[in-house]
Amino acid sequence: MDGAAVSKVRLETEDMQGLLARGFGSLRFANFLLLGVTDAAGAAGTLAGWADQLTTARNKPGDIAVNLALTATGIEALAPGVATSSAFSEQFTTGMTTGYRSRLLGDTGEDDPRGWAWGGPGADVVHVLLLVYADSADRLSTRCAELVGEAESGGLRVLHRLDTSELTPQENFGFHDGISQPRLEGLGARRAAGEVKAGEFVLGYPNEYGLLTERPLLPAAADPRGLLPRDVGGSGSADLGRNGSYLVLRTLRQDVDAFHAFTDTATRDAAGRPDPAQAGLLAAKIVGRWPSGAPLVLAPGQDDPSLADSNDFGYHEFDARGLACPLGSHVRRTNPRDSLEPHPGTEASLEINRRHRLLRRGRSYGSPTSGQECGVHFICLNANLARQYEFVQHTWVNNPVFNGLEDETDPLVGRRSSKRSYFTTPARPVRRRYTELPQFVHVRGGAYFFLPGIRALRFLTSPT
Amino acid sequence: MRAPIKDARYDDLARALERMREEGAARNSVLPFADLPGVHFARLFLVPESKDLGDVVLPACLFYMADVDAPLHRHLRDLAGPFGSGADAVFGHCDDYPPEPSPGTRLVWLLERMVAPAATYTHRIGRTVEQVHDEHHLREAIESYLDPPGTIPAQLTAAEAHGRVRSFALGRDDLKWARLGPRRVGLGYRIRDAVHLVALPLAVLLLLPVLVPAVVVMLLLIRRLERKDVAESGPAPPEHAHALELTEDHVAQNPFTAIGLVKPGRVRHLTMRGVLLGLDYANRHVYNRDNLAGVRTIHFARWVPVDDGRRLIFASSYDGTLESYMDDFIDRLSWGLNAVFSNGMGYPSTRWLILGGAKDETAFKNYLRNHQIVTPVWYSAYDTIPARNVDANSQLREELPSTLDERAADEWMALL
Repeated sequence: MDGAAVSKVRLETEDMQGLLARGFGSLRFANFLLLGVTDAAGAAGTLAGWADQLTTARNKPGDIAVNLALTATGIEALAPGVATSSAFSEQFTTGMTTGYRSRLLGDTGEDDPRGWAWGGPGADVVHVLLLVYADSADRLSTRCAELVGEAESGGLRVLHRLDTSELTPQENFGFHDGISQPRLEGLGARRAAGEVKAGEFVLGYPNEYGLLTERPLLPAAADPRGLLPRDVGGSGSADLGRNGSYLVLRTLRQDVDAFHAFTDTATRDAAGRPDPAQAGLLAAKIVGRWPSGAPLVLAPGQDDPSLADSNDFGYHEFDARGLACPLGSHVRRTNPRDSLEPHPGTEASLEINRRHRLLRRGRSYGSPTSGQECGVHFICLNANLARQYEFVQHTWVNNPVFNGLEDETDPLVGRRSSKRSYFTTPARPVRRRYTELPQFVHVRGGAYFFLPGIRALRFLTSPT
Repeated sequence: MRAPIKDARYDDLARALERMREEGAARNSVLPFADLPGVHFARLFLVPESKDLGDVVLPACLFYMADVDAPLHRHLRDLAGPFGSGADAVFGHCDDYPPEPSPGTRLVWLLERMVAPAATYTHRIGRTVEQVHDEHHLREAIESYLDPPGTIPAQLTAAEAHGRVRSFALGRDDLKWARLGPRRVGLGYRIRDAVHLVALPLAVLLLLPVLVPAVVVMLLLIRRLERKDVAESGPAPPEHAHALELTEDHVAQNPFTAIGLVKPGRVRHLTMRGVLLGLDYANRHVYNRDNLAGVRTIHFARWVPVDDGRRLIFASSYDGTLESYMDDFIDRLSWGLNAVFSNGMGYPSTRWLILGGAKDETAFKNYLRNHQIVTPVWYSAYDTIPARNVDANSQLREELPSTLDERAADEWMALL
């Protein structure tokens, strides 16, 4: 019975990987390694060794942190039959690049997976993702070299190294990023307002419906040594999902020049003279926050760094019409807060919003001033890919008719499917509508991973 | 409309429908729905042969459903006459289709196979296809007019701004029609509707002394049955899910078509009929303007008992993805869904008819996907416009010709 929800939440942080609890912000250097299995038995041995060294959610890391995630094909390579027989979600098992999924996620045209740098069809099949974080560039490269050595002598091959730039509060478009993150119930010492149920991100705990999310269960007989926890839902099955999460990784190239060129051109006066203040305002309207992070609903006219970390506000509450923060702006789409139907401004609206939250853990790469490609390795964690990541991507970000709009996708990160790509900034007496918005973000790679609990990883890598 | 398929013709018909899908429902060479007047939505789908609970064979059938502007017989005459050869190409695969069809024989054949829904939902009763298109065109014209900065000087009041837009729109020959409000539904319909409005409550009132104890007894009986009900479990088989995905999320709307066996026994059948009667009444008189109990994303829906009530078909056209549609069901309509669909075999377990059920997210989503059937041919006359935007366009048009006070004008300008 999935309805038999546990009343008191105690998170088994010793079995959860650290990324679920924190983004390792103190470790400003990171490298993501994409590996392929060349020899299953050897790889299992290597991964089993790593399982003991992974950074868990229990304690803050020191100067280094390592986490590990697997694709469905990776799980299949290590433990044949497990991925398909254990009710991993359909999105995970079929992967990010099926024809249907590409249509749903908007990965078509220029963003078609066939053109990706990694993860597309025909490219090397990614099995394992190693996320390595360190407090210095030296320590990072030393640790990565060790891990690469262990991998290559242990049944694995490095397919891609995703470098990141040193962590700063500003992402490549110049905006303070990562301010609004859901707080997991049961993680903090005390309860806080606006917490989201742990089961929205960690499998095996009650979600926002008070239920256990669909999770990979195995017949108890498949785990004779009792490596896995038993299903808290009471089915008697071995729970391969418990303390795990689905991890979405997408490499997104940011066209920073095009972004600034657009805001500059669109705000020139009749004589063609640039107006930096208006260009800055338009950029902020596209994002929904100022470069400092100050939300437009609280600072409508100009940036106010004292409000940089403000996160306690509603859109309907302060700005139902979007006069300050446009209805279609990036942050208002990706986290609409209290503006959802049918009763905006109420607790019911917030409740619906809480079922579509993402724990974001991305890191930027490159630099807009270097002349080289720059972007973000977008990472998010969620328990239900369909209801969380894919819903946000399709129904909010890329939805041309979001919230009553028409022919508008997310002005910052959305894909443009037609020339009629608009962005409307509500105003009195009449709105201003910008036309032919270029696409500022392009998909360069991606895959769905599973971030297993430590015990689940030991189970998957134990000799049968 | 429901028609059993001739022996050995099922695969041929499936291929014919597949070709229509590939060519596009709007412009396919068999039945180009965009050319058929007054069609909002239309669908053709197949239900393969199966068995009822008593192992009686239910023949493979073709279903045709269309949401059309009144009068219905105009649509049927179009199908039987000008579009007769297309109708032959599809319906010719079915039993007893006239060997040498003429408009008359086709019409008779179609009429004989009509199945009345037990309940229907219409997002806004009386709004025609033409009106939806015209009002969308009006919006686009106004939006383009407003695009160049300075068209409406910033110092104008909202009322003045509204006046400028009005002068622009009503000054254009192709938009002059917007001077007048939308045509009201016919007097005949309004009279029948008024009678319908009072008839059911009157009947309920008269029968109250019998109904109250009857409902109590029914609920107790249902509660007893519910304890023995067996809910299905597990996700849809991957090949079924993939067949459905092929036809989904191409445009801003999607079709949903599902079929299921009704639980055995008189109590369940009577409950389903009673609930659908109430639902139909509520849809007609309460939820007849822009939402179904708060859900604004459904254009049309119908509940059709078939095979003498042994099975129920539910079909709708909705905005967005199935995932968001199902979330709406769970969040806002679970009690209503439970009351209808818990009479179907395998539905997630309910208590007292309306509690539980759809509230079990995983079980409910799996149940819907398992019972959903592929809609190979589905047509929408306005597949890029969600119902909410259709409504906004209507509001834009209705208030365009009026002189608005500042507050109303301000709200009207916010529609743009």
